[in-house]
Amino acid sequence: MKAWLHRPALWVLPFLVLGLAAQEAGVRLGFIPQVMIAAPTAILGKMPMLVAEEELLERIGLTFGLTFAAAALAILAGVPVGWALHRFRLLNRAYESWFVGLGAAPLILLYPLFLVMFGRNLFTITLMGFMVAVIPVVLKTREGMDGVRPVLIAVGKSFKLSGLRLFWKVQFPAAVPVIFTGIRLGLIVSLINIVALEFLVNIGGLGRLINDLAERFETAAMYGAIGFVVAISVTFFVLTERIELWLRPK
Amino acid sequence: MAAPQVITPAQRWHPQLLRLATLVVLGLAWETASRFNSTLNLAMPSLLMIAKALFAILFDGKFYQHLGITLWQVVASMVVGGLAGVGLGLWGGLKRRFGQAIEPYVYYLAPTPKIIILPVLILMFGVGSGSKIAMGALSCFFPILLSTLAGVWQINPVLIRVGRSFHLSNRQMLTLVYLPAVMRPVITGVRLGLGMAITGVLLSQIRLSNAGLGFLAISAFQTFQVADMYAILILVFALAALANAGVASVERRLGG
Amino acid sequence: MIRQRTRLGLLAAGLALFVAAPAEAETLKVASSHRGVWDTSIVYMGNEQGFFKAEGLELEILWTSGSGETQQAVVSGSVDVGVGGGTMGVMGAFVKGAPVRIISACMTGASDTFWYVKADSPIKSFADVADKTVAVSTNGSSAHLTALALIDQAKVKAKTVPTGSPPATLIQAMSGQVDVGWSLPPIGFEQIEQGKIRIIGRGQDVPALRNQTVRNLIANANATKNKRDALVRFLRAYQKTIDWAYTNDKSIEYLAEGAKTTVAMAKRTRDEFYPKDVMRLGPPKGLEDSMRQAVEYKYIPAPLTEAQQKELFEILINN
Repeated sequence: MKAWLHRPALWVLPFLVLGLAAQEAGVRLGFIPQVMIAAPTAILGKMPMLVAEEELLERIGLTFGLTFAAAALAILAGVPVGWALHRFRLLNRAYESWFVGLGAAPLILLYPLFLVMFGRNLFTITLMGFMVAVIPVVLKTREGMDGVRPVLIAVGKSFKLSGLRLFWKVQFPAAVPVIFTGIRLGLIVSLINIVALEFLVNIGGLGRLINDLAERFETAAMYGAIGFVVAISVTFFVLTERIELWLRPK
Repeated sequence: MAAPQVITPAQRWHPQLLRLATLVVLGLAWETASRFNSTLNLAMPSLLMIAKALFAILFDGKFYQHLGITLWQVVASMVVGGLAGVGLGLWGGLKRRFGQAIEPYVYYLAPTPKIIILPVLILMFGVGSGSKIAMGALSCFFPILLSTLAGVWQINPVLIRVGRSFHLSNRQMLTLVYLPAVMRPVITGVRLGLGMAITGVLLSQIRLSNAGLGFLAISAFQTFQVADMYAILILVFALAALANAGVASVERRLGG
Repeated sequence: MIRQRTRLGLLAAGLALFVAAPAEAETLKVASSHRGVWDTSIVYMGNEQGFFKAEGLELEILWTSGSGETQQAVVSGSVDVGVGGGTMGVMGAFVKGAPVRIISACMTGASDTFWYVKADSPIKSFADVADKTVAVSTNGSSAHLTALALIDQAKVKAKTVPTGSPPATLIQAMSGQVDVGWSLPPIGFEQIEQGKIRIIGRGQDVPALRNQTVRNLIANANATKNKRDALVRFLRAYQKTIDWAYTNDKSIEYLAEGAKTTVAMAKRTRDEFYPKDVMRLGPPKGLEDSMRQAVEYKYIPAPLTEAQQKELFEILINN
């Protein structure tokens, strides 16, 4: 948070305000067509309409709920798989490159097929969010496990811990900071993918709202909704970053 | 850290075998689902049909036309987004105060979903290549800017002092000191950005478009030619992986 | 004699030059909803048959998945003309300041649009769609308007879902992504004949829509200013194509090819679902009703004033 508030960043604010004022003036004086870019005051003016008529809060809840559900599934599936890759080197050597490759592939393009297989519903959207979120969780879990210092494991073994108990008492806690980095990446990519799918498929929360508003030429309200998506992703990003810093060994 | 292991030929052989076995199992599962479930059959055509479609597409001029348009849009978006990212990154890197001022905004805006502003881009740049290039450029701009910025800030101060002691002009400092030193982080940014530009361009080809591989894939799907869609996607994934590997090899060479 | 022949020859050559001159045709960019549907295929047929070329126009067609998208393309200014702009949606965009104009009606009455379910669905009619999802193309389209009217008429509450053009909707309905699909003939006829889907409601079930223009030819406001002449020629060629399409069965072959269906099916489509009268160009009909619906469904805050109507409707053809 300190990094966020350090002074140079604040210097940008006056320019932002100036920019918004110019935008307002440009639209009002007719230099900027209002179907393209809305005046900031008009955007603010649409907030009550977004909340009352377009169920903005419910939609935010929905998009978030889907993202968390996707991330939870990714943790449930990804941590054991990551552990397996750590524990059985053969698996790691066989599949690591596959995971890395999938992580770089534009998997979101597969969405029409998911819709056919699982239906046009929230579960499918969650599943696609899960699919992209699980990859960083797997890879970072393995990395975290690999990085646990042998000394710690030796100590654990001296206490006659083995198997699952060694995992839960020693390896997992030691690997948590790295694993959380994976979870955070997973949350971010699943949020991006879920919003994009909502937009492309007209289902769910914020993404669908933006498409609806765009087709109805509710430009000001659409900017309002876009602003919300940006604000939410940034908040999300900042919060998870703080948790990550807090978990990191000092 | 795990100590570097000596991998014997036998150990190298096992993973290959395992991968092959996995592929066979997945393939059999796919074929079974495709044969015995009518809903799944719609989404999972037989692998043989996909292979046939792949073959047919590779000999179809139409595919190359759409591929060409996609390549042009991706390259153009990399040029626009990349130049803006590298330019602003160098500028912010050298003018430290300016860089520090914009960095948090860029850093926090980078992971927001970009596709949602497609309607705005369409209104501004039209339904043709313009809006697709804008989407791609916007997608790759952030990672390239961030890694360039970080790259400049990580330059060894000794290098800069040496440069200054030789009384290099600003221009010479840029071409002889800064640019060579930031090459690797820039290329890393380019690799990350390229993936995002490809996704951005393809996604924007799904909506309001009549050209490009994203359009070709979705229109194959919409006319029930699902095998064709898989074939196109396989080619898209392969090309994306190839591009990624290409940049990664440049990256490794610079790092060596 | 010889002289006269030379003169005739020269004249012929001159004529040929004159006729060939449109080879340097002006390009007009057109966005059209739904490939493979009769009324929005006119531009395609006319282009293939050379009617537009004869007017010195070269069409570049972009297919969209509904009138919402068609309008976005027109408003952005990257296309000049949109085919199939839903009356309600166009009025909505217009009152929000979008530079869009209606230059002619292109489909009056929603006799063509129909809704269907998978054969094994429990839904028998619109009375059974409570809490189900009903497909429409895009927001503000004629299909959207008709679906809302059908739902209201059945006195139930159901959600409309934009699913895009008929082929795209068919695959979504067949795989259960929406409960009720929408379509325009001939798309879906084959599946009806095979007993895979059945119709549960039609546009003609809504009496209010019968004499109302539901889809229009729209243009960007700049185009009506700067390319007025081209638009007039566009409409003339459009009218000629319609006349041709109802007398020459080559049009049916085009439709069969575009919709990937049989010639027989395509012929039924034209002859049973699109009496030539519904395609009449000129000023839209039933405007009062359209405005009332647009207000009811919150597309416009109040009926358009005289001045607004004068601005929105720039009818460029006399019929």
